[in-house]
Amino acid sequence: MKRNTLVLGVVLLILATFAWAGWANWEYRKQAAEKLLASAAKGELVSTAAGDVPQYISPLKGKPAPNFALEDLSGHKVSLSSYKGKAVLLNFWATWCGPCKIETPWLVELRNQYAAQGFEILGISTEGDDLAKDDKAGREKQKADVAKFAQQEHMPYPVLIDGDSISQTYGGLDAMPTSFFVDRNGTVVAAQMGISSKDDIEANIRKALGAGK
Amino acid sequence: MKSSRWVAGMALALLVLSAKGQAPMSDSPGRSITGGAAVVYQYPEQVTVSAGKPSPVALHFRIGQGLHINSHTPRQEELIPTTFSIPEGSGVRLVKADYPTGNDFTLPLDPNTKLSVYTGEFTILTRIVAESGNHLVEAKLRYQACDRNVCMPPKTITVPIDVIGK
Repeated sequence: MKRNTLVLGVVLLILATFAWAGWANWEYRKQAAEKLLASAAKGELVSTAAGDVPQYISPLKGKPAPNFALEDLSGHKVSLSSYKGKAVLLNFWATWCGPCKIETPWLVELRNQYAAQGFEILGISTEGDDLAKDDKAGREKQKADVAKFAQQEHMPYPVLIDGDSISQTYGGLDAMPTSFFVDRNGTVVAAQMGISSKDDIEANIRKALGAGK
Repeated sequence: MKSSRWVAGMALALLVLSAKGQAPMSDSPGRSITGGAAVVYQYPEQVTVSAGKPSPVALHFRIGQGLHINSHTPRQEELIPTTFSIPEGSGVRLVKADYPTGNDFTLPLDPNTKLSVYTGEFTILTRIVAESGNHLVEAKLRYQACDRNVCMPPKTITVPIDVIGK
């Protein structure tokens, strides 16, 4: 009898230990996530519990998309504020980025599909290059490469250059492609870093259009 | 008595395991993917060569797990090749750099496009000429890294080598 009581006590202790370990682990992860968000003037691409699909934590989600005015390939200034009332996908990409090249045809299709509903894409070339500021030849070549890419991919939407100049206001942009889905009121409703699938992009476009989650 | 010992042993083991679960691990959720350096220079930190004569030096690098960088000769012209250089005026001149051949690699979402990349560890075989004396050379490696889903901007890292020309 005494031994059974002892065994029962030990089993209860083990169960209590499990419960404590689970709670402490949950607390630790919650605090880590809160700390990350609190310090997130910078976006972070982090591994998830499953370990396969990384998650992009953007400080801009739920906040107004910072306005900007960048040149398009013809040298005209294009500002985000001029698209107020439309749902906009800000797609930051680079010519050296393989995954950007893969998702561009999806973007072209989705843009054509949803344009009539008030949707537009701004493709923002963000070469992130370590070219010297006075390297005019290097910058011209870069611009030519961007124009060539836009032509090859038949991009029907504005392609803007020098996304690097607004990188900090958009959370750092440590990797490409990075997309921000902005609703008709100018609020960032979703953000994505890295390629996933056309369906994911479409779901976020619909969210920006207010057409479903 | 035996079963009590067994239960106590199990409890101890579970305590150890649960305590280990609290420690942050390198692959734990929440780890930043783009934050760290994609390429790390390994060795040599110091080389002694004959002054004024071309001398072979093998430079060893390691690429982060799950990442790849373009080889020195990527197949697509828009991709940025991996290149090694030694700044002028450092007392050491790069005569030649032999880069390893890239490995074929395809992204899962684009199986028809073959890339030429380095993964894991790679070595650049150089020939350098050093002036007589001790030179703290800050050589450069420029690369552009990606994983299967994202690409990081091109980066130039410093490759510090203490070159002694005798």
